[in-house]
Amino acid sequence: MARLEIDNVSKSFGRNEVLKSLEIDIADGAFVSLLGPSGCGKSTLMRLVAGLEQTSGGRIRIGGEDVTDLAPEHRHVALMFQSYALFPHMTVAENVRFPLRMRNDGTADEQRARVADALAMVQLGDFAARLPKQLSGGQQQRVALARAIVARPRVLLLDEPLSNLDARLREDMQIELIELHKRLGLTTVFVTHDQDEALSLSDAVILMRGGEIEQSGSPEDLYDRPASAFVADFMGASNVIDTVTADGRVTALGGAIDLPADALPAGTVKLAIRQEHLRPVAAGEAPDGLIVIPAERQTRVFLGSRARYRFRAGGVLLHALVPGDAIAAADKADALAIDPARMVGLRG
Amino acid sequence: MVRGIPFAAKLAAAFLVTGIAIFMLVPLAVVVLSSFSASEFLVFPPRGLSLRWYGEIVASDAYLAAGWTSVKLALVVTVLAIAIGTPTAIALYRFRLPGSEALGALFLSPLVLPTLIFGLGLLILFSNWGAGPSFAGLVIGHLVISLPYVIRTVGAVLAEADPALEEAARTMGANVWQRYRYVVLPQCAAGMAAGGFFAFNISFDDAVVALFMRAPDVETLPLRIYSQLEFSPDPSVAAVSTIMILLTIILVFIIDRLFGLKRIA
Repeated sequence: MARLEIDNVSKSFGRNEVLKSLEIDIADGAFVSLLGPSGCGKSTLMRLVAGLEQTSGGRIRIGGEDVTDLAPEHRHVALMFQSYALFPHMTVAENVRFPLRMRNDGTADEQRARVADALAMVQLGDFAARLPKQLSGGQQQRVALARAIVARPRVLLLDEPLSNLDARLREDMQIELIELHKRLGLTTVFVTHDQDEALSLSDAVILMRGGEIEQSGSPEDLYDRPASAFVADFMGASNVIDTVTADGRVTALGGAIDLPADALPAGTVKLAIRQEHLRPVAAGEAPDGLIVIPAERQTRVFLGSRARYRFRAGGVLLHALVPGDAIAAADKADALAIDPARMVGLRG
Repeated sequence: MVRGIPFAAKLAAAFLVTGIAIFMLVPLAVVVLSSFSASEFLVFPPRGLSLRWYGEIVASDAYLAAGWTSVKLALVVTVLAIAIGTPTAIALYRFRLPGSEALGALFLSPLVLPTLIFGLGLLILFSNWGAGPSFAGLVIGHLVISLPYVIRTVGAVLAEADPALEEAARTMGANVWQRYRYVVLPQCAAGMAAGGFFAFNISFDDAVVALFMRAPDVETLPLRIYSQLEFSPDPSVAAVSTIMILLTIILVFIIDRLFGLKRIA
């Protein structure tokens, strides 16, 4: 349990610069997601913090102590691998005890008690004597988690831990992770390429792109106020459309959207519109104060509680997310209505 | 649609497999059956039934001495082959040093090059040193031809193992010795056992290197069998061979029990 500071850290493999002077400060006990497409450097950053790679520049501090030149075995940072990396020749209990045994942390009896505690926490108390290959994927994942937390690491790093699980197991594990974090208060960094996972789990999200931080903030910040078209696009739920600025007006979709330039950030070149903020309406019946975009309805995908519609407006595809009780009306819509205040101007 | 394998192909495969099995097993069966012969001469089918040739072996100083030499030799070779081959395989398959591939090919070359060459080279070397043929010479010769097997089997196990395990152990506080002691070597164990088994068999079975390095006081069992065949071919040869077959089967059984042959073969 400790604060994690990434101070101006960069990393190159040969000429390939994968991390560019990163600045990250994660508070003691926070749960932070590192989000980004594959190849954005998030896993490399994880390995730098764990000490499995050397930094090319900058310092890493854990709990105020500079660990940049410290070997991984002395950092007291737990890394849970995507492959789980369970030792195939050891039982579940031996696997979980390994970090305690290697560090001579407590007497044999104390170690056994802590192993039992950790296994109970992930609800695998009855599986202590099994070998990893005798467990399901979800159970192996829990063993890896128990092994990561048993020694109370200063920082817990989780590298796409849920990516090998099926959808239902994933949701269960997300809830368990949140509860475990509440109980233990470990400073946790969670690496994922899944924006929903990042949004649902963390106190803060750091979205990376090409070795740099594209945007960081609370999940709401990234979702509601994307700083760039990339963020809006990556968070998934937004339509991103090009704009034209001329004579103090910002226009889009062939003039269907026409706003005063001073209502948007200077230098706006794109607009982000969340799917649930676009309302399919009949052109003549739009409420006052909304911008109405004439649009041709193309497809509907039924999602249970909601439906996603695809419209075409001036050659641009727009997606709208509609609550279940509005589906009947939306099926007859020939326009999309949007509150101008809901549009977010993007610089690129 | 997936079409079934044509009947003709199935039939051909069945014949082929049966044929190969017969080719492999018939000579062994002939040897085993001949060993129970009551006759003075090595003939097939055996005439009469008796265990007398087994008795002859047990009473024969030449056979016992040769057997003891072969067992000692094979054990020493096995231990050395594992002790040298395992670190070599780890270095080749884990460190990925420049030239790893060339070195790997070099270490495996005794598999493809004629053993005769090694035997001849060893003889010349040892004669040059004035030592002449000796037990140590045999050990070295057998080590050369059995090391590739240990390197191969341990390497195969390592190639299949998850390299993240060692990194994981590191983040859990394991220093370099602990990583080898608790993570790398236990993973290698099955490969070491299989490689050791091969090394034992190769040493125990070799007649080529032994032929060059033989000395009046250092005669291995295969050579003993060979000279017996040359000078007085009686069924004792078959009896010794049967004992060798039995020993091999017992070894395979033990290895399988301990490690599971499927995992390593």
